[in-house]
Amino acid sequence: MANDLWPQVEKLLGRIERPSRYIDGEWGVLRRPDAAYRVALMYPDTYEVGMANQALQVLAARLATIEDVATERVFLPWVDMAGLMREEDVPLFTLESCMPVADVDLLGITLSNELTYSNVLEALDLARIPLRAADRRESHALVIGGGPSAHNPEPMAPFFDAILVGDGEDAVLEIVASHRASKARGASREETVRALASIEGVYVPSLYSPGADGRMAASAPAPARVRRRVLADLDAYPAPSCPVVPYADVVHDRATVEVLRGCSRGCRFCQAGMVYRPVRERPADSIVRDVVEGLACTGFEEVSLTSLSTADHSQLESVLRRLVGRLEGTGTAISVPSLRVDSFTVPLARLLGDGHKSGLTFAPEAGSQRLRDAINKNITEEEIVTAVDQAFTAGWRRVKLYFMIGLPTETDDDVRAIGALVSRVVSVAREATPKAERGGLRVAVSVSTFVPKAHTPFQWDGQLPFSDVRRRQEMLRDAMPRRGVELSFHDAESSLLEAVLARGGREVADGIEAAWRAGARFDAWSEQFSLTRWLEAFSSIGIDAGEAASRPYAQDEPLPWGHIDSGISEAFLHLERVRAEAATTTPDCTFEDCTGCGVCPGLGVDNVIAEGARRG
Amino acid sequence: MAEGFRLRVCFHKIGRLRFLSHLETGRAWERAARRARLPYAVSQGFTPRMRLAFGPALPVGTAGEREYLDIALTRFVPVAEVEHALHAAIVPELGPVECRYVSPVEGSLASRLTIAVYEVEIEGGSPQQEIERSLVALMGTGRLEVEHKGKQKVFDLATALPKEPEVRSSEGRTVVRMWVRMGEQGSLRPEVFITAAVGTDRVASVTRTDLLIEDDQGWRRPL
Ligand code: SF4
Repeated sequence: MANDLWPQVEKLLGRIERPSRYIDGEWGVLRRPDAAYRVALMYPDTYEVGMANQALQVLAARLATIEDVATERVFLPWVDMAGLMREEDVPLFTLESCMPVADVDLLGITLSNELTYSNVLEALDLARIPLRAADRRESHALVIGGGPSAHNPEPMAPFFDAILVGDGEDAVLEIVASHRASKARGASREETVRALASIEGVYVPSLYSPGADGRMAASAPAPARVRRRVLADLDAYPAPSCPVVPYADVVHDRATVEVLRGCSRGCRFCQAGMVYRPVRERPADSIVRDVVEGLACTGFEEVSLTSLSTADHSQLESVLRRLVGRLEGTGTAISVPSLRVDSFTVPLARLLGDGHKSGLTFAPEAGSQRLRDAINKNITEEEIVTAVDQAFTAGWRRVKLYFMIGLPTETDDDVRAIGALVSRVVSVAREATPKAERGGLRVAVSVSTFVPKAHTPFQWDGQLPFSDVRRRQEMLRDAMPRRGVELSFHDAESSLLEAVLARGGREVADGIEAAWRAGARFDAWSEQFSLTRWLEAFSSIGIDAGEAASRPYAQDEPLPWGHIDSGISEAFLHLERVRAEAATTTPDCTFEDCTGCGVCPGLGVDNVIAEGARRG
Repeated sequence: MAEGFRLRVCFHKIGRLRFLSHLETGRAWERAARRARLPYAVSQGFTPRMRLAFGPALPVGTAGEREYLDIALTRFVPVAEVEHALHAAIVPELGPVECRYVSPVEGSLASRLTIAVYEVEIEGGSPQQEIERSLVALMGTGRLEVEHKGKQKVFDLATALPKEPEVRSSEGRTVVRMWVRMGEQGSLRPEVFITAAVGTDRVASVTRTDLLIEDDQGWRRPL
């Protein structure tokens, strides 16, 4: 491979932490040294975090189906390595062929959450690719983003040549084909991105600019609104059966099989629950086949059945039974990301082989029934208490509860109600636990700060002002029982930044660049994060970050993501916001009738339920 | 590891994979054994684990030519079959060198392997005799004070290095071969000894070429 940087990289590895992040050479790596076209897929965080990303594995497997295309992995070097690379003049490299990232044809970057935005700039800089798409020349790699945060692409828009909104399985192949065709006819960069704009789901930021009415206006051939790309049925897309098996202890060090995509529960705060509709379940046979093949090829000792709400799969119990039978005696564990309290049953949890060691995780999100109804969480206190009672009676000794503060319509009473609910959970758990074992009983309570997200019923709401967040955290601390409870707060400072980055428009991009220039990177790592740095960066470009996070959008105000069509109708979101105010719930459309969110008719799709009906 | 069959695998860890930690190497081999579909035994309990035991840890960055692991099997599989399956299930830089069954009641690798053989390559420049003189001079002092993670430690060289280091030169490469005793108190790192003898920034690479058992009959390989 031309310009192999390995000899330079190797010299640095004795001087840094965890060299295995940079060495490649894992089981399952696909090498195509003679490929005609090279794609680098980057997760903008460390190897350990990025290797856990399922979407990149899926895309790599899809790209592997084109014979003369090579796909290489890129992660962001940790600060020690980045420092040495700058000192020793080593550019950002791909893992597989250790080539400069700048020399690939296409650089795909996951926009998985707002706290990785500064990492994207750090990576582009290390790669020596101009930060802004407008400054790139013909020779530079095409930089394309995609992922959950692409649903409000504006804050990162200037840094990308194009951004894919929605499912990538087919779109990525079309993007590569379009780019290759452009290259073959010697098209300019401008012509190349114009061609990309005609692919469904692809947003080309340079073709949009703010119009007189404040809305983003498209210039031809770009569509006025970019329609989210969506696969009608997942079954035609098997889970990657032989992904790369890391040596390092990565975040989710196991095989993963996606069992369904989308969630129709309709929690009003949840962006994923809106933008991944409709529900598309994969049939039990395919899931079992992919798990068995994946484990055989990778040798992983655990497999996770992933999705937004795995327990909702209409065939989950039968899938688990079949897998438990096939994996018996192999020392292989099966796990699911988390369970809803209303889908928790002891036999189900037993099938997951969790034993009594690890705990159960439930997310009531709010303490009072009124607020749970306002956010459409659709679980009752009795359901929570019953699930805890059953679990502790059956031998579990630990449970983790997730809550949020700052949800729209929340009052001080709702916050105190979290304390009351936890007290009740603790006493039920104690009752259900034999006296001798009560010492080991733990109720972990994790509290995060609500971040309003685009394409949700709460997209118009501002974040609870920072001082109120602090006040309510203290109030909650006082309302919380001490014994048996471990209370932890997710960092409210990073939630403030998330809000600014999640709900801002293109003007926010200058703030991101200013923060990165001031040293921001790895913002998701508390020891690297500095809110002050970000506040100063924003104020240097005239943005008051606190105000940007907490200012509500008016109903008739153009939203920064107005030109991105997630398929959910604005009328539905508005109606849901009204229902939230009235604490009226909306049922799950896979249990009962369609509730009119607009996705199915709008995008020409339907809920796909493997066994005909779901239990409601 | 008392019941069943105990398979001893000699493997190497070379090239880029010398940067793997002991833990990472262990995980890689566990997964290779699964991929090879060996009839591995699993422990009892809520989280059954494969029963694997390794020899002494290799420092990150040091290559190993003959490292060892023991794995408990529930059923006998001919050695040739095991080797074939393992070769097909692991990357070449971490591949098996040879396998053999050993007595399931033998002491653990970690406790029995007490002598490590290293080859330290010195950056070009100085003639062989000069290096030999430096090594002999250092050995002659009898002891070496070493600082490791802020702690001072004194090695008695006759104990730490039970055999005089040997120097070889060929084709412009100078290699020192050392025999290091590993014990409860830790062992002298070869690059530390070489640096103390010939100065800093002279070590080009370190390879552990062998691990030996020391008993009444002398030194021998565990296979
Ligand atoms: S359109 Fe109806 S059925 Fe389809 S996801 Fe929306 S609410 Fe559910």
